[in-house]
Amino acid sequence: MSLKTFRGGVHPPEHKEPTRDLPIEHVPAPTSVVIHLTQAIGAQNQPLVKVGDRVLKGQKIGDVEACPAAAVHASITGIVKKIEPAPQSNLKDGMAVFIEADGTDETAYMAPLDAFACSREEAIKRLRDAGIVGMGGASFPTDVKLAPPADKPVDTLIANGAECEPYLTIDYRTMIETPADVVEGLAIAAHIVGAKRAVVAIESNKAEALPAIEREFAGHSHGIPMAIVIAATKYPEGGEKMLIKAVTGREVPSHGLPADIGVICQNIGTLKAVKEAFADGKPLIERGFTVAGGACITPKNLYAPIGTMIADLIPGVIQISDDVRKVIFGGPMMGVAVPTLQVPVAKGTSGVLFFTAAESTQYEERLCIRCGRCADACPALLMPMLMNAALDANDLNRADAIGLIDCFECGACSYVCPARIQLTQRFKLGKDLLRNQRAKEARHGK
Amino acid sequence: MENKTTRLVLSGAPHFVTSNDIQKTMGMVIIALLPALAGGVYFFGPRALLVTAASVVSAVAAEFLFRKALRRETHVTDLSAVVTGMLLALILPVSSPLWMAAVGSAFAIIVAKELFGGLGGNFANPALVGRAVLLMSWPAFMTHWSPSLRAAAVDATTTATPLGILKLGGTLTDVMKNVGVSGKSALYLQMFLGNHAGCIGETSALLLLLGAAFLVVTRVIDLRTPVAMVAATFAASWLFGRDPVFSVLAGGILLGAFFMATDYVTTPVTPVGKWAFGIGAGLMTVLIRQLGNFPEGVTYGILLMNVLAPYLDKIIPRKFGFVKPRKVNA
Repeated sequence: MSLKTFRGGVHPPEHKEPTRDLPIEHVPAPTSVVIHLTQAIGAQNQPLVKVGDRVLKGQKIGDVEACPAAAVHASITGIVKKIEPAPQSNLKDGMAVFIEADGTDETAYMAPLDAFACSREEAIKRLRDAGIVGMGGASFPTDVKLAPPADKPVDTLIANGAECEPYLTIDYRTMIETPADVVEGLAIAAHIVGAKRAVVAIESNKAEALPAIEREFAGHSHGIPMAIVIAATKYPEGGEKMLIKAVTGREVPSHGLPADIGVICQNIGTLKAVKEAFADGKPLIERGFTVAGGACITPKNLYAPIGTMIADLIPGVIQISDDVRKVIFGGPMMGVAVPTLQVPVAKGTSGVLFFTAAESTQYEERLCIRCGRCADACPALLMPMLMNAALDANDLNRADAIGLIDCFECGACSYVCPARIQLTQRFKLGKDLLRNQRAKEARHGK
Repeated sequence: MENKTTRLVLSGAPHFVTSNDIQKTMGMVIIALLPALAGGVYFFGPRALLVTAASVVSAVAAEFLFRKALRRETHVTDLSAVVTGMLLALILPVSSPLWMAAVGSAFAIIVAKELFGGLGGNFANPALVGRAVLLMSWPAFMTHWSPSLRAAAVDATTTATPLGILKLGGTLTDVMKNVGVSGKSALYLQMFLGNHAGCIGETSALLLLLGAAFLVVTRVIDLRTPVAMVAATFAASWLFGRDPVFSVLAGGILLGAFFMATDYVTTPVTPVGKWAFGIGAGLMTVLIRQLGNFPEGVTYGILLMNVLAPYLDKIIPRKFGFVKPRKVNA
């Protein structure tokens, strides 16, 4: 039987063995955290606390009257020591609240809310108040995603359990260990958007999670028809557009959103957070992530408060070897290499990888030999080599015509390039240049 | 602790690459050319190896010295110069002077490739440029053909290629006499095996297809261009009243289609472009064979299409999620 999938894609080594069978480990309560005020795509939050304030675990500490945006909350109980810019995993310094624990365990959660009894507006407001964002890496506010315009009815909600990035196993562990939470969250999300069915999509190499999830359908589906779809193990199967294509056969239109074709995808961790926001009134203040890589002596799956400094976990929780040469937040295909360990876990941190010198080889870029492997690998069915040539010639319009904006930076082209051209980086830059040019043209009324 | 991380590397995603680099790709092409080279030695004697060695050594040396002279990074370990040297040798007569093979591949590397920036910058197939230059410079050497050592009737030291016999007004019967067989199917078989006069590596369809199959299975080459070129040659030859099977087996069609028209750098990358390139190269080859002064036209057929390659890449395939804008009725 051929598994459902999309056209293109690559098969990088999976490297999931070291952590896939390790239960998620809760890290000891940190003595301090650094919580960035803005951790979602959208407006910049303003601090709601000042230096010297005592804050409770779960208390809202940053928010803004705008949409899209997502509130942030204290992840430990303690005193606000300072509010100043600090490095974050996107390589930009962002305003952050430094909290020092006072050793108590008081919480300030919201009251539980029955998602199936409350109004749609109340449910959306709960997601907003809980600061829920997509935890797969993009950090888009979930309240906005689950409230598509009325003229775009959503019939299918997909739980994205593909986890196609190598090394990462946190979604898989979450499905194995807390399947009821995931299914309950899926039912809530499906109920909020009025979806007629919900699907849990899993890559074939994680099929062991299937029975655990399926067992919970009876008790937690709340009458919404649910099914499991096994997709081929291929990168980027978990890319939203790719997974929707694999599950439903529908293609998200170029420049469009999944809701345009009646589908919404939610990450596994996000669904668990959704469940907790309703059942426990708990905002998004903790998350699971995988630590791994050749320079990580203790690969594991961790569950830690948002704002936990990676440096603080070493060497108590994570041991790294002396030849660590690269630290990556996220997976190896789309993650960001950071210059220091003084970076906190954020809402979008799905993994932290430690690479050795051998794993951090820098290659000399050669001229494109037009072998076409990038085009075979591109899940967006673009011609990366032609976009690269157009960008080399500073021809942004030509690059645009080939589909530059449709590139979602999965990294598949760079991965296969025999000339070691950093195609993905060039396209990221090219997209910025193109957007700037279009904005300039708009200003000049062209 | 901190000393561990003072030398952290920053780089853009992805932080992973395949091990499949240019060197590996070129290595695959070299492996795929070995059967044809072995065929050259079998049919034309060990001198085939000497010609190949001269061409390869000259190509590698030319690339190394030229880049050294320009104080640029040398890339001879990527094996692309070896491929160029081998390809050129395979499209030379076995009797070629060694110095001529060396001059040809040095010209191919320096003028056709390095002057345009090296591998990836060239617009024309270096080996074919080398052959074209040799053909113009030393036509006598380039049209001096030795018969196959394995042919039934070896009584001469020089002969003509099957296409050469046709060009001089001969018929297929004359070719059969030359090859030492009677009957069309016997001729086809000998031509398929490679037992006739021609360039070192072009005569054996069997061995060329063996190498090509390896490249197809390992996904180094795309079948579109060679299939289009062979089909176009077959169809156009038939239209001109030439024996289509003979036309595909004779001369350099298969070597050109599977190893030259599939050259990454100088041929289109788009599916439509690949089909168009193959059809164009096949048509040009037959037109030159039929109407030109030369018996064979693969070299110029492909070189002409090389020039058109950038234009053939204009039609890009459908993008993911791309919906054709509806035509607005004016």
